[in-house]
This record gives sequence, structure tokens and C-alpha cells, in this order.
Amino acid sequence: MSEKVLLVDDEKDFLDIMSERMEARGMTVKTAESADQALKILEKESFDAIVMDFKMPGMDGIQALKNIKTRKPELQIILLTGYATVEKTVEAMKIGATDLLEKPADLEALAAKIKQAKAEKMLLVEKKTEDKIKDILKRFGG
Amino acid sequence: MSPSKNDIQFFGTLSAAMTHDMKNCLAIINENAGLLTDLAVKAQDRAIPVDPLKAAIISEKIGKLVARADDMIKRFNRFAHSMDYDKETVDLEEAVDLVARLAERIFRQDRIRLTVIPASAPCRIHASRFALLHLIYRAMDILCRHQAEGTSDIEKPVTVRFGTDPNMPEICFTQDSGPEIKLESLFTSPEDQALLARVNMNIRTMDSGAGFCLNTLPPARE
Repeated sequence: MSEKVLLVDDEKDFLDIMSERMEARGMTVKTAESADQALKILEKESFDAIVMDFKMPGMDGIQALKNIKTRKPELQIILLTGYATVEKTVEAMKIGATDLLEKPADLEALAAKIKQAKAEKMLLVEKKTEDKIKDILKRFGG
Repeated sequence: MSPSKNDIQFFGTLSAAMTHDMKNCLAIINENAGLLTDLAVKAQDRAIPVDPLKAAIISEKIGKLVARADDMIKRFNRFAHSMDYDKETVDLEEAVDLVARLAERIFRQDRIRLTVIPASAPCRIHASRFALLHLIYRAMDILCRHQAEGTSDIEKPVTVRFGTDPNMPEICFTQDSGPEIKLESLFTSPEDQALLARVNMNIRTMDSGAGFCLNTLPPARE
């Protein structure tokens, strides 16, 4: 099954070329030019992974990461950045980023991280379902 | 004159924004080159010929991106050379244009929508180019922060105009909306005062309270 990815970057040229190359590798890609636009898309659709630029006009990557993780903690977010300082990487990981890649990123490495992110998301969803079932059984004496 | 701590901060801020944009450009060039490789691999593995039109479009895109990156590097180089002389003749319009292009990413991020009205006649001063660039950036920053008071994520329109009196070169910064700008709230810190003194410029506020102008001090009498 193909991975469904939301790609977020303020550079339209980057979105176009990346989505074309990712789709050629069997992924289903949707794009957003800002974090605000991404949040609106996320209200309606679910994704296996979000690949997002760290610095964007308006809401930046860290703020967007916090907002997404508050609303949908199971979502896997891979951040792309021009310069990955140790400080920023630690901050992003603490908030819940799955991974952080430096631009220009190697597409094969990114594709591998997306696959891994999908597997991790599935585990989280399974765990959530299991917890729900356990809770129902507990409450109704199963 | 040795650069101040604020000068270094200004240089760092603009350098970080510029290099970020350069990296973005390289990332897109990298993906276009990758796409050409994808097409070559497909041609070899599945005997699908490379579409010449597609290859030409990709090549054209790469060419445009290289030109964009080259333009950024030229601007950055001009910025780096702004420290070459203690004082030189500087065109105010050129200086505003350079700051606007160097800080494009920062302005975009801060939602500043900049409009520069071209000067009707050359508007030049004799000063440190670097200090003037710093002062222009600081003026934009002050106006942006002033407009952002009480509001967060709104677009901030800023208009820059130039004076018409060749004997008193002037740059005026105006906001379309926002609270009234008062002289006593502008360039009040010792660092800002020192920056104004280095460029030998004065501030005056507009009667409407919509902005302020930076103009040259009248020449000191012998």
C-alpha cells in the first residue's frame, strides 16, 4: 500500500518537483504552501506522514509542529531544514518530530524515513485501538 | 570604525536569511537534477525514451534557478563589500533596494508588504554604506513592530518614498494603518542614537502620524 504524504513548503517550485518525484515512487502526495493551509487540510484528511519545512512565513515549523501534535498526536512529522542546528533538532524532537532532514535532502533517504514513519503511525493507531477495546471491556465487564 | 555588537547581529540576521534562501534554491536544483536521473533510469530499465520536451523544461528550470541563486550571491557579495570604506557616496534608493532584497525572506516571514516609490531625482549621501543599510533595516523593523502592537499575524504594508530636495536627501517610511507614530518613541536606545549619528541623519515624524523620515543634517557651519 502506498504512503500518503502531506508536503508543506513555502517554495511552490520545491513542492511541484518533490511531489512529482515522490509520486513516481508510488506515494500519494498532497501539498500545502503554508502551515495554516496544512492545518486546514489535516482537519479533513489523514496522512501517513507530513514532510514540512522548518521555517516558513506566518506560522513557523516549531509552532506548526506543536499545533499538529496537540490535535493529532499520532501524526508523524518529518521536518526539512536549511540548517539543522543541534539546538533546533533537540527542540523539534522534544515537541514530537519524527525526524529532521537537512535540505537539499536525499529523496531515497526521505522515502525510507516516510516508510518508517508510516509503520510507526500504524503501531500508534493499533495501540490506541487496543487501549480503546481494553477500556470498553473494563467498563462493560468483558 | 569597528562594528558594534548590533552591527554584527544585523549582519548575522541578514546572512542567515540569505543563506536560507540560497539553500532552498539549491534544494530545488537538486530535485530537478534528480528528476533527470529518474527519467534516465526509467529509459534504461523500462526502455521508455526520455521525452525531449520534458528534458528541455527541466533544463530551463535549472538554468532559471542558477540565475536566481547567482543573483542572491551577487547581492550578498555587495552586502559584504558595504564595509569596504568608512565613507562613500551612497544612493538611498539603491540602499533601500538592497536591504529589501537581502531581507526578502525576513519581511515575508514578518508579513511586511513593502512598496518602494522610485525617487524622482538621484538621492545620495556621503556616509558608511554598511551603517546606512543597517539604519534602513532598523527603520523597517521599528515600523513593523509598531504596526504589530496589539495584533499578531496581520499583513503590514510599508511604503518607502524619497525626498525631492537634492540638498536634503531624505527617506520616508509610512504605514497604511496602525497606531500614530510619535517622535519620542523612535530610535530611543543608545544603540539607535549611535547608528543615526554614524550616518549623520535626523528623524522627523509626519504630521499625519503615519510614518517618519530620515534626513541628512544640514552641513555644520565652519
